[in-house]
Amino acid sequence: MRVNCEHALPRLLFFLSIIILFFSFLSVTAGEDYSFDIEKFEPRDFEWGGYAEGRWEHFDLNTDGAFYKLNQYKNRHSTLDRLTGTMQLEALYKKGIWAFNSVLYAKVSQDDMGWSDTADVFEANLSLKPAPFVTVDLGKKLFKWGTGYAWNPVGFIDRPKDPNDPEEALEGYIGAGIDLIKSFGGALQTIALTTVVLPVWQDINEDFGEANNVNLAAKLYMLYRNTDIDFVIFNGNSRSTRYGIDFSKNLTTNFEVHGEFAYLNKIKQAYLSKTGTIIKRERSVKKYLLGLRYLTESDITTIIEFYHNGNGFSETELDNFYQLVDNAESRFLSSGNNTFFQIAEDISQKGYGSPQAGRNYLYLKVNQKDPFDILYFTPGLIAILNLDDQSYSVTPEMLYTGFTNWELRMRFSFLNGGNLTEFKEKQNKNKIEFRLRHHF
Amino acid sequence: MMWFKQLFKIDSNVIFLLVVFLCLLVTGTSTALDGNEILLQVDRNLQPESYEMYRKLINIEPDGSKKEYVLYTVKKGQDRMVALFLSPASEKGRSTLRLGDNMWLYIPSVGRPLRITSLQSVIGGVFNNSDILRLDYSAEYDAVILEETADKYVLNCKAKTSSIAYDSLKMEVDKKTMVPVTIGCYAASGMLIKTLYYKNIKDFGDDLLRPSVLETDSPLYKGYKSIMIYARINKKKLADEVFTLNYLPRVDELR
Repeated sequence: MRVNCEHALPRLLFFLSIIILFFSFLSVTAGEDYSFDIEKFEPRDFEWGGYAEGRWEHFDLNTDGAFYKLNQYKNRHSTLDRLTGTMQLEALYKKGIWAFNSVLYAKVSQDDMGWSDTADVFEANLSLKPAPFVTVDLGKKLFKWGTGYAWNPVGFIDRPKDPNDPEEALEGYIGAGIDLIKSFGGALQTIALTTVVLPVWQDINEDFGEANNVNLAAKLYMLYRNTDIDFVIFNGNSRSTRYGIDFSKNLTTNFEVHGEFAYLNKIKQAYLSKTGTIIKRERSVKKYLLGLRYLTESDITTIIEFYHNGNGFSETELDNFYQLVDNAESRFLSSGNNTFFQIAEDISQKGYGSPQAGRNYLYLKVNQKDPFDILYFTPGLIAILNLDDQSYSVTPEMLYTGFTNWELRMRFSFLNGGNLTEFKEKQNKNKIEFRLRHHF
Repeated sequence: MMWFKQLFKIDSNVIFLLVVFLCLLVTGTSTALDGNEILLQVDRNLQPESYEMYRKLINIEPDGSKKEYVLYTVKKGQDRMVALFLSPASEKGRSTLRLGDNMWLYIPSVGRPLRITSLQSVIGGVFNNSDILRLDYSAEYDAVILEETADKYVLNCKAKTSSIAYDSLKMEVDKKTMVPVTIGCYAASGMLIKTLYYKNIKDFGDDLLRPSVLETDSPLYKGYKSIMIYARINKKKLADEVFTLNYLPRVDELR
């Protein structure tokens, strides 16, 4: 649920986050001691926490890219600098078998284009937990189903992750759910059933799909012979019916494999033909993912995932879109008419503008913990390759978490590929990012 | 009939001698423990089979700077364990689950628990995941006595399967308290990975007298040291469902 607020609330949260960052930094320099005062950690009815974050980004814009032309045709820049302040507040109140959990998120940004702000309720959920084997939920809650790290084909009621930041919190959906667990001895160690009722009405989950429908999603989890297995189903009229299965297993102490398969029945989609007309189609598609995680003796973790997005656009369909934007620019420059840009913008929102709009991708994440005897220092690299057009993005990063409750992260991303390829047509050529986050 | 009586008499003598011999043998074995029996006693003296526990973990760098973590832990039976981070704020709410050789890490913002491996470390430093989520030694190792002196046993413990973090342990056990004093942890190649030092015997109540501090250092992390301080260990009855992925977001409710 997005709260359309004026600038006042985000600005207040922004300044609050600056104050917290400042005073927390002072407390870091004050030092710690070895004492273990267990009273400090006794459970309380009300607990809260969260983080405040400051981020500076510098973009070199890709002035030849389709998405640059589309988004910047009115206000052309070759570079962009952005300062962002983010605050996430988490609160939990529990009394007996009841608990109320909430996550609030606010972000303010200032860049060469101007000021922007958002404030969202990511989660607000009431839980009833009468026994260890049952949980009943009512309210807004985040679901993350599937075993994939960067993508989740079976995440039928999830928000899509950002593969460059898959561990970040996301906004949930409003619904009601029940979770039942049963443990056994033998080969089948655990079985758990999660069912969720997810309505889509006016002002409730409107961005999920078609309104005035009540949808049902269910996940049956099993731990069978040391393998995690999920069977997932979604049924409802807001989105088409879909079925999925996933698994995850440690083959050795340092080698894990995982996979997901989803079948999406009768998906409705609009695509751009060679003649530039929008054609609607309905088809059933498959999405699947296969991945591994490997840890070496020198503490290098490698995650590799292959992702097939059956619902993605073919190379030709993407080419048609880039060509349309090219034509829109020519027309705009010659006559000042932006009609084609408006059409392209509309089409972009129908899927062409989504982060990975193609069909086949390879994901690679490599990082090394504590190299050169530097504790809490983790250098790494993330690469996403579009296997169809061979375009790619590469993001080396450095993370340092040595100061208690502080995270310092520096990233450099660059995107490349041939003409009319996905990453070559993005808005950015490269990006430098410095992020400072404090948890409290 | 004489021959029968004679035979019976002889057999009776033999049986009598056999009974005496067996009694001596049984008495003898009841006083001399073998390696696995010592390991079982060590496990029961370190912790009850099912319990809850509070621990503080401290990583110390060569320059003396340190980072602390506080964990709430519950364990049931030989191979089920959950640890919840209570502090620092950056880790709060994270929990790890171990079921035998399987380990998962739950991060609240990530939602779905991720499979992790025993050799990784969720906190950095010298302790790895298998140290933090340590099961009973007897569940993972077979032990033989290498050496016995007046005040200690030295055990050679060999991993029961290849999926266990350390291929072998060399464990020194104090005879009086029957708890470990030092444990050398070795890879299959024979390389010493780390040494654990159990210190500061403390009465935790309920007849539990055990070390309250566990220190470790490693030739792989020269100059670094990690310490685990135990503050409270209580017997606790726990449902089997506590040790499942779906329960991980709820672990704090057990406190």
